[in-house]
Amino acid sequence: MAEISDSPPESRPVEENTQTQITDSISELDSKTMRKTKPGVKRLIMTLTVLVSFILLSPLLLKSIEIYRAPLPFDEIDSFSSKIESNRLLFPCGFRAIFVGFNFRVSNYEVGEVIRSKMSELSLGGSRCGCSNDYSVSAVLDLADAEVNAVDFGGKLRENDEEADEMVKRLVNVYGEEKVYSVVVVNGEEEVKAVVGKYRHAWILGKVSEEDAVVRVAEIFSKVFVNGGSKDGLIHNEFMPVGADGRIVLSFSLLNTDPQDWVYDWDFSEIDEALLQPVIQALQPIADVTVESQVLYHTPKASFSYWDDEHGSHIFTAQDLPFFVNSNEWHLDTSVAAGGRSKVLQLVVFHVPSTKSCPTSPWLFGACPRLTDLGPSKSIILQACIRYIPSAKECPLQLELPNGDLSKTNGFISPMWGGVVVWNPQSCIKDVESKDLVRHKISPQDLQKLFEVLMGQIRQLLGLKSDDLYVGESGTSTLLGSERGFTEWELDFLSRKHFCFNLLSCATTLKSLSKLVQSLPRMIIMDEIGKQVTFSLEAAKSAQINASVGMYDASAVSSRQSRTLAEDAFFHPSIMSISYYSFEHCFAIYSPFFLPVIMHILLAALREWKRYKQENRKYLAWKAKAKAAS
Amino acid sequence: MALASTTTLALSILFLLPFLSSATVEEEFHEELLLKPLPDRKVLAHFHFQTEAPVAEDSFARHHHLFPKSISQLVKKFHIKAMELSFTQGRWNYERWGGLDPISSQNAKPPGVELWAVFDVPQHQVDAFWKNLTHSLSGLFCASINFLESSSSYSAPKWASQSALGSLRYGTLPREAVCTENLTPWLKLLPCRDKAGLSALMDRPSIYRSFYHSQRLHLKASMAPADGLDSGIILEQTLTVVQQPNIQKTDLSFSNEFKIQPSWSLSSIFGRKVNGRCVLAKSSNVYLQVERDLVAQLEKLQKKTATYADNDTGIDVLRGDLGFEVSITPDRVHRELEKSSSILYEYSIKEYNDTEQFDLGLTWKYPVVWSCPLAPLYASRFLIGSGNERGSIAISLKSTELTKGFIVANNVEEKCKLQVNVLQIVPWYIKVYYHTLQLLVDGKPQAATDFIERMSVSPSEDKVSTGVMELVLRFPCEIKSAILNIEFDKGFLHIDEYPPDANQGFDIPSAIISFPDFHAGLQFSDDSISKSPMMSKLQEKSPVLSYTEVLLVPLTTPDFSMPYNVITITCTVFALYFGSLLNVLRRRVGEEERLLKANKAPFLQQVINKLSSRFRGGLSESTQPKQPSSSFITPKLIIKIILVAGLAVVWQFYLK
Repeated sequence: MAEISDSPPESRPVEENTQTQITDSISELDSKTMRKTKPGVKRLIMTLTVLVSFILLSPLLLKSIEIYRAPLPFDEIDSFSSKIESNRLLFPCGFRAIFVGFNFRVSNYEVGEVIRSKMSELSLGGSRCGCSNDYSVSAVLDLADAEVNAVDFGGKLRENDEEADEMVKRLVNVYGEEKVYSVVVVNGEEEVKAVVGKYRHAWILGKVSEEDAVVRVAEIFSKVFVNGGSKDGLIHNEFMPVGADGRIVLSFSLLNTDPQDWVYDWDFSEIDEALLQPVIQALQPIADVTVESQVLYHTPKASFSYWDDEHGSHIFTAQDLPFFVNSNEWHLDTSVAAGGRSKVLQLVVFHVPSTKSCPTSPWLFGACPRLTDLGPSKSIILQACIRYIPSAKECPLQLELPNGDLSKTNGFISPMWGGVVVWNPQSCIKDVESKDLVRHKISPQDLQKLFEVLMGQIRQLLGLKSDDLYVGESGTSTLLGSERGFTEWELDFLSRKHFCFNLLSCATTLKSLSKLVQSLPRMIIMDEIGKQVTFSLEAAKSAQINASVGMYDASAVSSRQSRTLAEDAFFHPSIMSISYYSFEHCFAIYSPFFLPVIMHILLAALREWKRYKQENRKYLAWKAKAKAAS
Repeated sequence: MALASTTTLALSILFLLPFLSSATVEEEFHEELLLKPLPDRKVLAHFHFQTEAPVAEDSFARHHHLFPKSISQLVKKFHIKAMELSFTQGRWNYERWGGLDPISSQNAKPPGVELWAVFDVPQHQVDAFWKNLTHSLSGLFCASINFLESSSSYSAPKWASQSALGSLRYGTLPREAVCTENLTPWLKLLPCRDKAGLSALMDRPSIYRSFYHSQRLHLKASMAPADGLDSGIILEQTLTVVQQPNIQKTDLSFSNEFKIQPSWSLSSIFGRKVNGRCVLAKSSNVYLQVERDLVAQLEKLQKKTATYADNDTGIDVLRGDLGFEVSITPDRVHRELEKSSSILYEYSIKEYNDTEQFDLGLTWKYPVVWSCPLAPLYASRFLIGSGNERGSIAISLKSTELTKGFIVANNVEEKCKLQVNVLQIVPWYIKVYYHTLQLLVDGKPQAATDFIERMSVSPSEDKVSTGVMELVLRFPCEIKSAILNIEFDKGFLHIDEYPPDANQGFDIPSAIISFPDFHAGLQFSDDSISKSPMMSKLQEKSPVLSYTEVLLVPLTTPDFSMPYNVITITCTVFALYFGSLLNVLRRRVGEEERLLKANKAPFLQQVINKLSSRFRGGLSESTQPKQPSSSFITPKLIIKIILVAGLAVVWQFYLK
């Protein structure tokens, strides 16, 4: 092989030789500086061809070792997320104020304008979510036909809030659309009373001046209807405890700290059917809610409490709360049924362990020096003893608020995790004599009470107020509760927030996905991810369009969809597997071949090029000489 | 194949069990512990926890009081009819610890993880449900059960269960290491966890120091109340531990200390005492079982040492006059129905608490030697052959004492037959040739068809499914030994199919040998004892079952850096070839020589140039015939040298 390939180049030098011999004979020639013949380009062309073909083939090679990446709409993602971040996600909201028995000297329009300006004042800076700032406020002064007597009407409204609510609803419906938030102000002689109803209206009764009325109406509009009655607005409330797949699992656990003392059980399926189902129905547009419950035993808390004489109970303070939940012993468990990325909200009823009554242990007698000082009452004696029990036997257990008061609900929430209620049994003394296990059932009344607290916690977790009073700058209003747990205006508020939260989280997810994909050039991206991203963007767009025309349900659905799709794309199983065929690997495999070969080719091409230039110069020199000679 | 549809294979016991407890209206929990001295100076402790829950229409898997939520949700989500998961470390010693009693048939498990499940879904969905279940379980129990997901690691035995035909899946992971991280989630399913009750005895170091421990979770759900059965779900959790008690040097009246059984107590075995029951348990009992043979031996001894006129054994037993003493007087004593019967002491731990702890102890008075009842045939399995190409698996069955007894019992009949069912599952890389199945009975080769009643084979498919062989054999009762032998080729795996540490070898899961004619079960007359879930479990008539050893097959394992080496060396060769070709192509030989002639180079350089030009080929030779320095290096000489070297090489490698 070598000989064959060698032979053709050989012929040329021989030829050259003969030529040079001939030229030598013609004229003496310095072979170092001149040559007569034109330098051959055969070798130069050959090496250059090889080099060029290598260069041309390298893209092909790169293409062959490329990994599949579905094209993602990076630009669209960027523009979408920047748009979401800069723009506000707002719904158009309508407001109407109805004044009965007032004598304004200005037109309806002007009153509306006054309320509007007051509202803008109150919603300082505005938030990114909620109602758009150009509130459309219409005011109705007096009832044109005076068919409703202010005094009569006021008197009726004063009697029963529930009935009044329905009455106001009828009155408001006279003015058309239901989606508009209304406040009815009825002038009267009695003291002022403000009530926010179950639907989308409120009423104010009593002796109010025109100016006051306007201020109060504006406050109810902007603070209650727009902001859901929470005082600090929406600053930290941009989180919704809804899973990426739009589901919430409410996991109720009853914790019996020490079953040796007593065991409490509950009949949760009753609560579930009777009380929770309406709530779940009400929350349907926001999330699919599923409920499950369990009873756990041997679950001590992780923080310490101390005995407080003043309150006659054990106290744990607000500082202890971060340590209260004992994740080692509380096997609350995520739900297998939920699967995927549903949000599990833990609602825990913490059951306080009993106190062993003193006579059981002689040691306790000895350790109670004030036993006799404390008087005849048995309960006092026992409590005195409790102070000396160093173990976790603590009953009753109370939560002390930072201001020194005891918590009424005796519970607390942890945002995005759930809530805990400490429940003290009625009597803290265990019957020592009975050895057998007594399984107490929490009575329906207690369960009802407990459920109210838990319901308040759920409301708080969703970002609503848990109590029924709104204390504003201009006065206090009563918030009427609904049997469904959430009133209509609260659901509106939740929908707005949910929509906003979904779009925000969708934007951040997509943004981080695009960042991730761009930062890892050797990551495989399936077509499915690309599809999910485009669909997510489309859903987000349609959600925004729906929101701009005030379609609550449709926007909530498509915003949820956009978030789900974005999360699906981000958590796609294939995205986790970064290609094993990393760049280092590729380099290691190809370099043993390409590195030496490319060096050879480059050097050869360089040499040939140099030589050709040199020879050409010689030839030119000879030519010039020949020319000169001729 | 469907001749004897009544015969069932290994796993059948698990499905044909009669339903426990007549009515499960409320969720219930039971805890029990069985202690049993073993002949080889060891003690068996068998914990049994049972949780039952009714299946209500809507509240099931949502609202629970005692039953673990995660398990009920698992049952609901994957439509599980029955399931068993076991984590085992160590091997049950069938020869010494017995093979006929219910504990060895039901609770002796192959090492590693064993999982089977029956699903209540259409056939085509079963595989999908199985895969999801393995993932959920591996999350729940902190184990790599998810390796059972791939279809080449599980199988669907056909005859194992008649009722669950097609919806049963079975898989094992022989190499799974079992440790506390598997026990903790298992304990989490108990309402009292290990905080109170009998489970508080589970001191991790003493459990994992044991000779054998197997933690098992058996789940049984009956969803349809229509067929006359209660709809309920029963979760049975057992932990079987075989431990060597520390020898208590209290009673050294016997000269030879090693012949006497070691006396033990709960605190010496586990290092802990029972501080009272789990208050949530409906029953919490401890049982001490004295085996048939041991009772017989002790009674014999007793007769020798002393003469008792009266036959009031009941009081003797209570007093502990039976050759050993128990530290606590039992609440009740149960005797088996038969003549030579085992004795069961029952202790209720309801009355014990922190101040008065329960610490059952057993002290031997005389040295005694006894043996456990063995399975009719002792099964073991081994590999034959060497090398990395082929081998064969042999399953040997040897007769034991029991078979002789069986012959005597069935002597009246003309033909006494002993039925043996074998289930062997092999991974696909062990390519079994089923036609090579050979049978040696009593050392002589016999036609396999004479003894095989039925045989079902589903050959393995490469990288897709495992091979399953199910055999129903019928041997004459007087058989002494039988060896089943089957040959196989070792397959090759793809480079990324090798597990870490591939040089260790590959495991062939245990074969399951069952004897459907024999039933493991104790028989007590007392009705009260049947109320206890563990005792009713022990009294069930279930076929005797034993697992063989796990086999370790060394497969050819490549040098895993080899592909890269090959790539590198080929690339280098190609690069060399390419480079030299390029060099040759652009060489100007004539010119070089002219230059060489022109400038009189020093001698050394001339030689070098000469040599290099010579290596490039003999072409330039003709142009420079007068070079004196290189006259002796002619191509002929080089050819001669190469020839000689080549001959030497050939001689060295081929003609030696």
